[in-house]
Amino acid sequence: MTPLHHIGDFFRNALLTIPLPGVRVIFVALQLALLLWVLSLPRSAATPPDGSGGWTSNLKIWASLAVLVQVVVYSIL
Amino acid sequence: MPGKLAGLDYLVLVVYLGGTLALGLYLGRRIHTGKDYFLAGRSLPWWVIGMSLVASDIGGTDIIGVGGAAYSFGMAVGNFEWIGCIPAMIIGAFVFIPFFWRSGVYTIPEFMERRYNAAVRAALALCWLGFMACNLGIMLFASAKMMNGLLGIDLLEAQSQTLAYIVLTAALVGVYTYAGGLAAVVYTDTIQCVVMIGGCLLVVVMGINDFGGIGPLRDAVRKNEARHREARIAELEAAQSDDAELKILKSVDPERIEHTELILPVDTRSPFPWPGILIGLGMVLSPAYWFGNQAIVQRSLGAESEFAAKASYVWGALLKNLIPIIIAVPGVIAFARYPELQDADTAFPVLVAELLPMGLRGLFLAAFLAALMSSVDSYLNSAATIVTNDFYKRFFNPDVSDERVLSVGRVVTVLLIIWAVGFAVVVSRMEGSGIYAIFQTLMAFFQGPALAILLCGVLWKRATGIGAFVGFVSGVAFSVTLFALNQESVYSAIGTQPLFQIAEPFLYFSVWAFLVSLTLVVVVSLCTKPEPDEKIAGLVYHRKMQNVEGGD
Repeated sequence: MTPLHHIGDFFRNALLTIPLPGVRVIFVALQLALLLWVLSLPRSAATPPDGSGGWTSNLKIWASLAVLVQVVVYSIL
Repeated sequence: MPGKLAGLDYLVLVVYLGGTLALGLYLGRRIHTGKDYFLAGRSLPWWVIGMSLVASDIGGTDIIGVGGAAYSFGMAVGNFEWIGCIPAMIIGAFVFIPFFWRSGVYTIPEFMERRYNAAVRAALALCWLGFMACNLGIMLFASAKMMNGLLGIDLLEAQSQTLAYIVLTAALVGVYTYAGGLAAVVYTDTIQCVVMIGGCLLVVVMGINDFGGIGPLRDAVRKNEARHREARIAELEAAQSDDAELKILKSVDPERIEHTELILPVDTRSPFPWPGILIGLGMVLSPAYWFGNQAIVQRSLGAESEFAAKASYVWGALLKNLIPIIIAVPGVIAFARYPELQDADTAFPVLVAELLPMGLRGLFLAAFLAALMSSVDSYLNSAATIVTNDFYKRFFNPDVSDERVLSVGRVVTVLLIIWAVGFAVVVSRMEGSGIYAIFQTLMAFFQGPALAILLCGVLWKRATGIGAFVGFVSGVAFSVTLFALNQESVYSAIGTQPLFQIAEPFLYFSVWAFLVSLTLVVVVSLCTKPEPDEKIAGLVYHRKMQNVEGGD
């Protein structure tokens, strides 16, 4: 056994103690954190500089939709 | 393909291939400079780039391979398209892509030189070029092998026919990429994306319909899983070999359907345990791919505006939500229908042959070819961009005119096609020697270190060129060492155990290499002289930058 084996075993055993429902919470929580970050972006970062296109040009809406689908997927599968 | 193709199927194929070629050649008439060739004159609309991103990411071998992996391990392989793409695409859309677009660079290594130094640019360009050049040959060979099985044409002896498919694909993709550069690649990818999604969706709808809905499909999967589990338990008990696996198998809840689960335990025998997926894929390989892969990022550098560059990634992320459904679900359907297939990679083709009527089989084959061509053309164009801009123009002829860059780019494209055909032939002769698996792991060797220097460079003002170079080279060396220590011939010779206990632990290589690189970049940077403020002005991210719209 090399030192790398000991390090690897330590992490493997630590990760084994986390139950799968807890892992699912982590997966979903990370997606929700991403969703919050997207929603907190300034409007200017997500719309065309000339303000054209109305609400359909607001990238925050479409980015949030993409992440929301992920939240649903990782909540049920 | 087990079912024979009819005249209508071949007609669909010919129409698709002819249309693609004609579009590529038409776009080639508008190309006059290097900027037109490598960045499509910075004129690409967001929706075209978004579809191209999705098409390029899914290769022909992925359609077959993901279907095969889903047949063996279930929907967990879908993680590569969901958590392995979407979060990184969204972060990339708002942080990295606008930043690169604004800097007006042609390549990511070029950005690295502006931020760090020429050594970092050369090292990264060399790694990408090596990977892309080898991958071109491998994609051609793997696809030719699959076409041998799918097309059902037996005009030549097997090896000659494989060679014929290699040359035919290379010539077809080569002609339109040579003529139209990035514009041809991206616009043909758009058609390829539609054909690919349409063809594969058809298989999913007909497959589920054939079972009478999702409920009966799940029941069939549960039943087949139980049968496989019982057979494996009997096998292990007879051999008295693996107590750990036996214990796990006996403790499985009979109501659980592993084939529909995305999150698999640490001790799963599949290559997709959750730490590898969450940390290795979601936090290292995926950001490295979507922020730093030249073949991917290049098309957004050709966007018509900074907003279009951002929108293309968001649109791509929305489309990505659909991909596991069209390429992984067919594998699960095949598992429900044919649980005893000897080769999992035949799952998708067998399903197509059994489910689709004449004419629609041709559409699926067009989808397969679309996926294959969209990846080959992207790597071909990006490899030519790196050779021309990061080596020829940077080190041999810095004062070259933009018109001359176009000529050089086209010559390099031809040379790369010839190289790819030659390398594909070499790989075909060495089949079974493990060379294919080694090259599949190649990207994992340098993706972690590449991400470490990219993140430090963009997000941390104090990162220095020397720190980045030391971190990158050491990270790659560490990754290769981990790979070697996991090879049976090596660990047996030095009398140790394999470092990783799962099959194909490439997700873990990337995590460790990333951490080693990151640590070294930080330590060495703090020990070396900071880069002057005027050198890194506009190259390090801060939140105020999100409000700036500009470009070259």
